[in-house]
Amino acid sequence: MTDTTAEARTGRVEFTGGRQEMLGIILRGYALMIPTIGLYRFWQATWKRRFYWQNTVIDGEPIEYTGTASQLLLGFFFALAFFLPIYIAFFVLSMQDVDFVLLGYAAIAAVVWFLMGYAVYRARDFRLSRTLWRGIRFDLKGNAFAYALRRFFWSIANVLTLGLIYPWMGSSLWRYRWRHTWYGDRKFEIAGNWKTIAGPYYSAYFLNVIALGATGGWIGSTGDFTMVGNVPVPGPIGISMCIGCVLVLAFSLAFYRTRVASRMLSTVSVGDAKLSVKLGTGALFGQFAVYVVAVVALLILLALTAAIALGGVYAAAAAGGQTPDAEALVSLFSSGTTNVILLIVAYLVILGAFGMLAELILSFGWWVLLARGASIANPDSLRTVQATAEDKALIGQGLADALNVGAY
Amino acid sequence: MEFTARYQDGKTASSRDVICIIDLASDPVMLAILDAGTREIVDRWPADECHLLHSRMMELRIGNRQRPAGARLAVTGIENMKAALGVLPKLNQHQRADYWKQARIIGLATAALLSVIVAYLYGIPLLADRLVTFFPPEWESKIGATADAQIEASLTGGKGYAVCETNPNTVANKAITRFTELAFAGLNSPFAPTVTVVRSDVPNAFALPGGRTYYLSSLIQASRTPDEFAGVLAHELGHVYYRHGMQGLISTSTTGLLVGFVLGDLTGLSVAGAVGASLIDNRFSRQSEAQADDFAGKTAQRLGFSPSGLVDLLDRVAKDDAFSKALALFQNHPLTDDRRAALEALDTKDPGARPAFTTEEWNAIRDMCKPPPPPPLPDVVTPAETTP
Repeated sequence: MTDTTAEARTGRVEFTGGRQEMLGIILRGYALMIPTIGLYRFWQATWKRRFYWQNTVIDGEPIEYTGTASQLLLGFFFALAFFLPIYIAFFVLSMQDVDFVLLGYAAIAAVVWFLMGYAVYRARDFRLSRTLWRGIRFDLKGNAFAYALRRFFWSIANVLTLGLIYPWMGSSLWRYRWRHTWYGDRKFEIAGNWKTIAGPYYSAYFLNVIALGATGGWIGSTGDFTMVGNVPVPGPIGISMCIGCVLVLAFSLAFYRTRVASRMLSTVSVGDAKLSVKLGTGALFGQFAVYVVAVVALLILLALTAAIALGGVYAAAAAGGQTPDAEALVSLFSSGTTNVILLIVAYLVILGAFGMLAELILSFGWWVLLARGASIANPDSLRTVQATAEDKALIGQGLADALNVGAY
Repeated sequence: MEFTARYQDGKTASSRDVICIIDLASDPVMLAILDAGTREIVDRWPADECHLLHSRMMELRIGNRQRPAGARLAVTGIENMKAALGVLPKLNQHQRADYWKQARIIGLATAALLSVIVAYLYGIPLLADRLVTFFPPEWESKIGATADAQIEASLTGGKGYAVCETNPNTVANKAITRFTELAFAGLNSPFAPTVTVVRSDVPNAFALPGGRTYYLSSLIQASRTPDEFAGVLAHELGHVYYRHGMQGLISTSTTGLLVGFVLGDLTGLSVAGAVGASLIDNRFSRQSEAQADDFAGKTAQRLGFSPSGLVDLLDRVAKDDAFSKALALFQNHPLTDDRRAALEALDTKDPGARPAFTTEEWNAIRDMCKPPPPPPLPDVVTPAETTP
């Protein structure tokens, strides 16, 4: 079945999963997280990845995630090895002189920032090397330490230049990542450079600077604020300008993310196959808006639930012949253990609800946007790719989990 | 019995439609994979080595242990999937076995983590006495000196303590030193505590690692009897004797690690991490406080004064309200009522009990840091009398 007319053929990328299936995974995860003292999170992450991967169909073939939860669990144990020296350093530092302690904390922060770069790279390696398409796996070669060093020094330069140097930093890191990415025995290439990032980046950057400057300048020059304690609270026009700033920020973020992803990813190729990505800024901005509305709705719902629960307690107290006053309510909560359990449950419910919204709207939305916006020119050229030996490295993903920098 | 599928050999990135037919006659039983177009045999898989992989809904993905890791048969369509499961009955067995394997791993890991937590919560207080002995007393004194400078700077805004009586040979200072030495006599502690009475509006007393102990003047003013003063002092000396400062340092470091592990965030920056760690650390702290109370009670027994003074004073300066009782698990001190019960159990009710300090000593101690005289009253402005 090798038709030579395939030269002009373009392979589509589809996403076949639904939100309700993801919701099921999340809810089951929450239910199992408590009896397993949090250990289920490794299985939860695995199920989520299976869902995202398997429903992403590239040119008719779904990709497959072959990683297992036990690998994540083991990886997390390895990550402990990185953290033990840091904890010991904290312990020893806490016994030193004040100046020395501050210096030590700064050093530890630098080490952790460096480790994050290392972890991000190894986590990408973990995911790619456990991703199959047409029975052939991807891989990330290169040196995670080299990547972490680059990221570390670039980010220092970035801070020193107030972020103006970021297009060069971004392109350096994008290029390092993609030029070490492999599909079987075929290497990825990326043609994008700092110019690809600069346009969207500087537009977003200066748009925000102007919005913030205008708002600050206007409020400052017209004296349109009242002091509440030590905090200046702007007047109605100032407030609406501040809201405008938030909108500008959200819009420019959506613009920047979609533009850079479209432009950079569209310069990625594997051999003769070329990736092309078209993302709409409006679609991502819409997701942000939906997220904000959902968060507000959730807050109202939680407040109503709490009010109804308290009202129920009041009513029960009244029915029981007690005077429903604050004293009686307090006495209901007078046991320390009950209170702490209540607090923890409330905290978990709120945290879980927000995490669920973020996953269902933002993470899911972004993945679907990327998948549906992507296509591959000349996918048939990939038929000759050969498999390479297995990659069993675990450590990076665990470190990324431990440092909270893992994505998807 | 046959079914159709998409086939990938796991060696090259190509995919093709195939027909799979079970060959029951061969030994072992084989699954023959035929090209859907040409009906040529592409491969023969040992049927018992086939296993199911996780897949999206309405699809079966089948791998084989004797083929490359990426070799796959992807089966879609209900009829096809039923046929595949019928032909390869072992698939379901393998899946069930994998399910139980996962459940076993989760179960074992949870049990292991639970036992670590329980061992930590109950083991650390038991081991703490021995753990601290691994740290030389000189270290602890050094930590105490660092903490001393930090606390002094933060309490006095950098101005330094206003020590009430700097001369160690005053009646009050000599009485306090005598009491301290008696309390530590025969205990073989590597530390010789020094007690400094400092002027402050805050009714408090605290001991630092290594033995530096501070008694703030407001707490002396709040004491009604010498035994109240002696009880609190003995309690602080208990912290020094049991090296609680050092124990606290060790346990907060390890608690952070444990809580970070449970929550999966070893940076410890999350709210949950902070709350969890403080719940555990406060539990240890309450145990230390109870131990220091016990030390105070035993010292009172030895020196022959009443141990209840400690809690009488606490009742006045740090009474628990309903709120702190409700959140007892977040407190770093045990509730006063519980402390009273424990201390009263140590009270021998010896009719020969005499106060810890003589009247003369006690008066001198009370006068160490007299509150400053009230500011002079403003001159009363009397309407000028008009002489008639």
